[in-house]
Amino acid sequence: MERIESVAPSTRPIPLSLILMVAFAVHLPLLLMKLPLQSYDANFHIFFASHYVHHWFDPWNAKWYAGFSQTTYPPLPQQWIALLSRILGLDMAYMAVQFAAILLLAVGVYRFSKLWVNERAASLAALASVFVGSESFLVYSAGQLSTTTAAPLYLNALPYLYEWVRHGKWRSFVKGTALFAAAAAAHHATLLFGSMFFAVPVLALVFLERNDGERTSTPSFVIRTVIISLVVGAAIAVVLLPFWIALIHNPVTQTPIPHPSRANYILSPEWGLNYFIIPWGALILVLPFIVIRGSAIVRLRPLLLGFWVAFLIGLGGTTPAGHLLLGRAYEVLTMERFAYWATLLALPFVGLLAAELIDRFRWRAIIGLSIGATLTCGLAVGWVSYHPADAATFKVDSVAAWLDRDGHDKYRYITLGFGNKVARLAILTDASSVDGEWNSGRTLPELNEHGAGSLSNSKYFAKAGLDALRAMLYHADHYGLKWVFVNDPYYDPLLSFAGWRRVDDLEDKTITVWSKEGAPPAVPLNSAQIPPRWQGLMWGTLPFGSSILAILVVLIPEKRWHRRGAVEPSTAAEDVAPGRLVI
Amino acid sequence: MNNGRILAVLIAVTTVALVVAGVLWPISSAVGMADWGGATVLGLSSTPEAAVDNLAHEIGQQAWGKAYSDLGNKGEFTQAEFVRDLTGSYLSLRTHAILDSFEVRSLHASADEAQMQLKLHWSTVVGTFVDTKDLRVIRNGNRWEPVWTLVKEPRVPPQVFAVNYLRWDVIYRGPEDDWGAQDVEAPHVRIVDMHPVERGDGVVILGELLNEDVVPAFVSVKATLLAKNGSTIATEDSFDKISHLLLPKQVTPFLIAFHNVALSDVSSVRMDPSASLVAASADPIIEIRDQRLNPAPDASFTGQLVDQSGQVVNVAHVLGTFYDKSGQLVWVADRYVDRALLPQTPVSFIIPLPPDIARQVSTARAVSATYSSGGFQ
Repeated sequence: MERIESVAPSTRPIPLSLILMVAFAVHLPLLLMKLPLQSYDANFHIFFASHYVHHWFDPWNAKWYAGFSQTTYPPLPQQWIALLSRILGLDMAYMAVQFAAILLLAVGVYRFSKLWVNERAASLAALASVFVGSESFLVYSAGQLSTTTAAPLYLNALPYLYEWVRHGKWRSFVKGTALFAAAAAAHHATLLFGSMFFAVPVLALVFLERNDGERTSTPSFVIRTVIISLVVGAAIAVVLLPFWIALIHNPVTQTPIPHPSRANYILSPEWGLNYFIIPWGALILVLPFIVIRGSAIVRLRPLLLGFWVAFLIGLGGTTPAGHLLLGRAYEVLTMERFAYWATLLALPFVGLLAAELIDRFRWRAIIGLSIGATLTCGLAVGWVSYHPADAATFKVDSVAAWLDRDGHDKYRYITLGFGNKVARLAILTDASSVDGEWNSGRTLPELNEHGAGSLSNSKYFAKAGLDALRAMLYHADHYGLKWVFVNDPYYDPLLSFAGWRRVDDLEDKTITVWSKEGAPPAVPLNSAQIPPRWQGLMWGTLPFGSSILAILVVLIPEKRWHRRGAVEPSTAAEDVAPGRLVI
Repeated sequence: MNNGRILAVLIAVTTVALVVAGVLWPISSAVGMADWGGATVLGLSSTPEAAVDNLAHEIGQQAWGKAYSDLGNKGEFTQAEFVRDLTGSYLSLRTHAILDSFEVRSLHASADEAQMQLKLHWSTVVGTFVDTKDLRVIRNGNRWEPVWTLVKEPRVPPQVFAVNYLRWDVIYRGPEDDWGAQDVEAPHVRIVDMHPVERGDGVVILGELLNEDVVPAFVSVKATLLAKNGSTIATEDSFDKISHLLLPKQVTPFLIAFHNVALSDVSSVRMDPSASLVAASADPIIEIRDQRLNPAPDASFTGQLVDQSGQVVNVAHVLGTFYDKSGQLVWVADRYVDRALLPQTPVSFIIPLPPDIARQVSTARAVSATYSSGGFQ
């Protein structure tokens, strides 16, 4: 018995440094292996970054869609990649930025959780963030760099929001504002929806606690909330001004493109596996605890409600909630990010449950929790092998070399059957394409009117995709489109009957090159979407500057303060008997 | 019950209710993504319509096993034969066709048997085609089961086929040759007929192109509409409404469509035929038999394609040229054949005609273009 006592788990918080070491151990090897390059969107972010490498102050990118504006997508992570690529190269710079986001997530979850639960539970929540399936799913399978960068910035900003509204600390106001602006510069949607799921619960918490300890009057609460909302809103409006201008001039009115995250996960079990089982993993077992404990404890209720709404929307088409709450935005957004936010909102509860389980079951709980965390993370990381974004393993270097020689890049090109290698090819070649992978940035009517994604994957969008492809080939001369690279003979009959001729082959004849005779050389599009020079200067200065400012102000020393009322494991519930495990 | 418990129960019940609602009345995005493709959620075939509906959904999702097991006469053929009936035995447009939509119509119904018409709208890389099936549906206990009738696809016996056809090769300058820039004179082609016609939402240019040369030509036709002030209204090309490969002395019709243009705004049309030397073969030779104009209603031009050579033609494209009594060109229309052409095996084609055009048409002529996988380009 004494021996058991001597090796009993500590009841102290896990040091943040140790949590970061665990994040190093788990994620650094995977990133050094460049595992995210196999994901859906990693090459997309690297492509954007490659443009910033050469044109930091000119967001007009002529390589996709015969020209599109990169002001249609917040630039912060890509600009950091561009900067770091001077030393690390583009691929490793991507990994470095992603790794920084993973480390920031652990810190952010720790600080955010401390608003709701005690320090020990918060440290366990931060540790859980290293293993959470949705993070690994987005990093290694989806490649959503911007979402996974913005969320930690946002989580780190929220405690400052709390401190400002609760205690009126100007230092927190400045730090929070800078971090919110940086989060918006990383991903606008995170800020927009994060306000609903994360910030409103924090404000509700302040309101619930306004009479505990240091009193916060209701007028002070309202005034401080309004002030920070206005200032953050103004900061974001300025930092992302070219983005808002682009959005107003070119609202997303194109025909919605189907996405499997909007499927019903029960009726389409394969998508349920992809978008629910994998991202949630062992957290599924915690759902009853979240509802019961979150309902029982008054101060956890705002967090519970934020979690619940994000959870429902994250279920995609499994419930009508997302469609009802988001309206048309539902058809534009993908739902896996809502599941991601829901899992982050669940982590304080996870920390609380873990602390209670460890207190009660000691090593047995630690072993069980470790197995659950490892399996959750392992499954999400391994999922990229079982459900690869692109099963085809071929190189596009030869295609890029072909385009860049003998003046071939005077004309535009498209690829067919290249999966998610469209962006990789665009990184490597100087030639311009009428296709691309950033649907919200495209303006060509041939692409926008049919409700399909990239031309390279036309056949997977059935009639809509093939109609878009035919429309583009029909207007090939308008865009100087002369080359089609085909990695799928499915498309050969169309090219053959439409007057294209096979002129070459590459990669041991697995890629054929088709040409249209008489196509004129490509000329730059005189698009109304081309941002003026002042917007380019803003775009190259303010979003990146907001992150530098955030780093500098966060380094200002903080006077330590102690939160009152944070939930202690198993003792703080209204109706919970001390020492009794409630799930 | 305290507030916390009420809230917990409320959240749990609402979540379950939303999930149940999502399953019973799935939203459109979920229907589009579903494996079951929007079929009756519980998969019940309690009426003849539901039975055919489920079958069509299963075919659409290529759930061949399920579709086959739902048939009332599955003992008459194997699942593989059923799949081949839908996708074709040889590579063709059917092989990779995607079911875009379908229609189910009741033709006749009694207590134990019904006659249903199933129209399958398939999407392919070159366009859409419709497959119409008249299905007998029989009651089997509480279920209704469609009876599927196989379209017998002829099998060509193994044989040696002697070919004796013309073939033209081209010697290019070398691998560094700039594609399309040839050192030899381009084949001589000539537009022998051309008419602009106002049609639907725009202007259509109809015409015929002749290869006057003694070598094959890879041809295309571009048209530019000019306004009264000489400015360009629009430029389009013939895309797939032409036979791009013309052997010596061959004629192809062409059609160039301009959408959202009024003929009254057009002062003149600049035609720009282009031709380049191309390696070509007269093989496969496609004979077009039994060409016939069928009067309205449902006016159409029908016939049969016969592959006279020894190789399988995977995709055939038929272009119809229609003339009035005075021999004037009045319309050009086309259709792709969804089944592969096997040697010496006739395959029917049908080109529908708009009623107003059908009234003017007196004679018609068909030409074909072909695509063979791995064949001569």
